[in-house]
Amino acid sequence: MAALLTATVTDYSACMTLATKTVAVDESALIAKAKRSDTRAFESLYRMHVDRIYGLCLRMTGNVAEAEDCVQEAFIQAWNKLEKFRGDSAFSTWLHRIAVNSVLGRIRKSKREMDRIQVVAETAPPPVTMHDTGEMRDLSEAIDRLPEGARHVFVLYAVYGYTHEEAGKMLGIAAGTSKAQLHRARRLLAQQLEEQGFEA
Amino acid sequence: MNDEHDDKLIAAARHLSTEISPERDLWAGIAEQIEAPKRSRWTPMLAQAAAVLVLIAASSGITWYAVQEDPILITEIRPELMVEQAAFGSRYTLGPEFLDARDSLEAGFDQALGRLSPEQRADVEASLTMLRRVTADINVELNKDPTNVYLQEMLMKSYREELALMQRVGGLTRNVMRRNDI
Repeated sequence: MAALLTATVTDYSACMTLATKTVAVDESALIAKAKRSDTRAFESLYRMHVDRIYGLCLRMTGNVAEAEDCVQEAFIQAWNKLEKFRGDSAFSTWLHRIAVNSVLGRIRKSKREMDRIQVVAETAPPPVTMHDTGEMRDLSEAIDRLPEGARHVFVLYAVYGYTHEEAGKMLGIAAGTSKAQLHRARRLLAQQLEEQGFEA
Repeated sequence: MNDEHDDKLIAAARHLSTEISPERDLWAGIAEQIEAPKRSRWTPMLAQAAAVLVLIAASSGITWYAVQEDPILITEIRPELMVEQAAFGSRYTLGPEFLDARDSLEAGFDQALGRLSPEQRADVEASLTMLRRVTADINVELNKDPTNVYLQEMLMKSYREELALMQRVGGLTRNVMRRNDI
């Protein structure tokens, strides 16, 4: 029985490895096709990555409409810049960078950050928290109330697992600044969550 | 991946959803942008330049034809026809006096055409067709950009060329187009 279980687990592991490789191969093929202006291939790439990109945009902006605009802008930019994608990094990382730039560009352009904060304060709960439950929802709401710089670093570092160097590069700040922003974010989050019994 | 000690807050944040499905399909908006043919801002200018070239070619051809064939048919365009400034509304229709003049010219024009050889007639008809096509093209461009003085002048010129061609062929000089006729 144990041997059978081991074999099954091994088979499952092998299947997963194969599946991962297949996905990678498929993605490379889709990228190659999309580079030749195949919009169907690009749509497949969009379907593969849209949830992660939308999640990032929504957590960074805290606003559904802004996040949707950022996703569309990011994928349009990706299409226009696809020729420049050489595969030095994973396609998902490349897309993430474009999405972060899109978020930052929109914030710089529209200067609606203050409006966004007001909207968030007036609307409970913020849309991003609908995807989380219990304590996670409290944390999500608290993250959403963070100031822009601290929120961006916290989302990239803590939620998406980027290093300070990677987050700093995406945000156009030094790694040291990213660390300082994370410290600030943690302090502010701890203050916010203290009342709700969340131990940080 | 991170180089700092994870505390509970960071650990909790790692459990937040990183993948969230948009509430609506965003692909349609993206497809609309990437599938639309890239429209250069030079397109209208190129269209105008092409229209000018066609007009010049047609005008030159007509002049050459008139000079070659029959000096009697060549009639000088009266100064009243040399309109420089034009003001057009949102619709580019011909005035009733202009239409009368053209109808009158067309009556004689058909007879004059009948006196030409088939080859000459084909040339004249081709020139007239080209001029009218140019006029239509300019009208289309003017509908997009009604205040474009350059296009307005081109439109006036194409109308003048059309009448002049008919006058040359028909030898009619009675009817004169004025600026207010358009």
